[in-house]
Amino acid sequence: MHIMEGFLPAEHAAGWTLAAAPFVIRSARAVKRKMEAHPQAKLLLGLAGAFVFLLSALKLPSVTGSSSHPTGIGLGAILFGPEVMTLLGAMVLLFQALLLAHGGLTTLGANAFAMAIVGPWAAWGVYRLSRWSGASLAVSTFLASALGDLATYITTSIELALAFPDPAGGFPGAVLKFTGVFAVTQIPLAVSEGLLTVLVMNQIVMYNRDELQDLAFLSDEA
Amino acid sequence: MYLIDTYAHTNRWRRWHTLEKLVLSAGMLLLSLILPPWPGAALVFAAMTLLTTRGAGVPFGFYARLLLPPLGFILASAAALAVSVTVGPRVGWHVSFSPTGAAVAYPLLLRSLGATSSLYLLALTTPVVDLLSTLRRWGLPQFVLDLMLLSYRFLFVLTDTARAMGTAQASRLGYGDLRTARHSLGLLIASLIRRVLVRANRLEQGLAARGYDGNLAVLSPEQALAPANLGRIVTLELLVVTLSLYLKELWTWPR
Repeated sequence: MHIMEGFLPAEHAAGWTLAAAPFVIRSARAVKRKMEAHPQAKLLLGLAGAFVFLLSALKLPSVTGSSSHPTGIGLGAILFGPEVMTLLGAMVLLFQALLLAHGGLTTLGANAFAMAIVGPWAAWGVYRLSRWSGASLAVSTFLASALGDLATYITTSIELALAFPDPAGGFPGAVLKFTGVFAVTQIPLAVSEGLLTVLVMNQIVMYNRDELQDLAFLSDEA
Repeated sequence: MYLIDTYAHTNRWRRWHTLEKLVLSAGMLLLSLILPPWPGAALVFAAMTLLTTRGAGVPFGFYARLLLPPLGFILASAAALAVSVTVGPRVGWHVSFSPTGAAVAYPLLLRSLGATSSLYLLALTTPVVDLLSTLRRWGLPQFVLDLMLLSYRFLFVLTDTARAMGTAQASRLGYGDLRTARHSLGLLIASLIRRVLVRANRLEQGLAARGYDGNLAVLSPEQALAPANLGRIVTLELLVVTLSLYLKELWTWPR
């Protein structure tokens, strides 16, 4: 769920950009280190960026019958690691604004905060936690991508609520309103994406185990 | 597939200097955020729509269709703004229509439209590659730039691949019902990852054979900055500012 261009007041747009910037810079530094250590990382990440963008352009059959697009946040966080995903996500958001007219330039910071920072870290945290507690790959993948989606959507709702507090209910009322309005599309989407990501991970583990090893260095702590 | 990109490469303003288009759209974007929505953002919207469709020659029908998804977002949010929700321990959930909320929604619509039309002018007249070379001149680190160039290039290659796979699956009834569709899409994405890794490997080998040292050198086409154009753009922006401040005094929207 992207906040459209011009939707946030100037101060909020600037504030979220400032809030997202340190994370993006930190991620860029990590990416640079990985590139210096592994010469193939640049090409791999360039293609990974195109892949994440393409995921968001695919149509995803959803439970309600309407088709929506997957965010790829969960899959990206599991495959490439959350640290790398922040830079990739910010990059993809810029491309989405310029090529798909989805999102915007002034709202780039707010969208990046929800989709490139909170989403990937939440997905990755859930994935690690459920793997650690002994859940299967399928269950962990489902939880990671579904909850990663939900975390993104709730963050976006909070950003909207901060900008437009409810006249009577204030900030909490506004959070309820925005989560309520977008729940109609976002909750089925999160479930669909969770199921889809499980299928993708199963396929990868079954047929592309070797390639998965090649990706391991991206999510390593460097 | 990516029609916006097609127009960015073929519109009448393609040869304009990127800086001119940036000053125009970023300036108007800023104006639509800081000027009073009525009439400031409305003027921006009118000017940008006219410039994009009449000036740069982007078909109006395409432009109008491009505005539909943001309008959907605005309407959904306006619905949220027009009601008021209070939650309290004694009253429980209370939902009511809120006139003050509705009054917020309307300037918001104008501001979003003004800003969106400014973004569209940039997106529809300026190819991503041009913007990236401008960003390089402004000090974007080379490795980020390389990443973006690679992503941009491969997004089209991957899209073609994905589309071919999708067609093959669809012609075998792979998208017949919801369950099959989800399964097919899962297969498609998984094979796409494989393609991505194979491609990255091949690209690396190909570049290594040509002496790849970690930098991708590209040429960006020369563009001449036309001061007259820049002057016209700034004049237009000043015109919008004065007009909106003047009209605001003269003509306040009935509430």
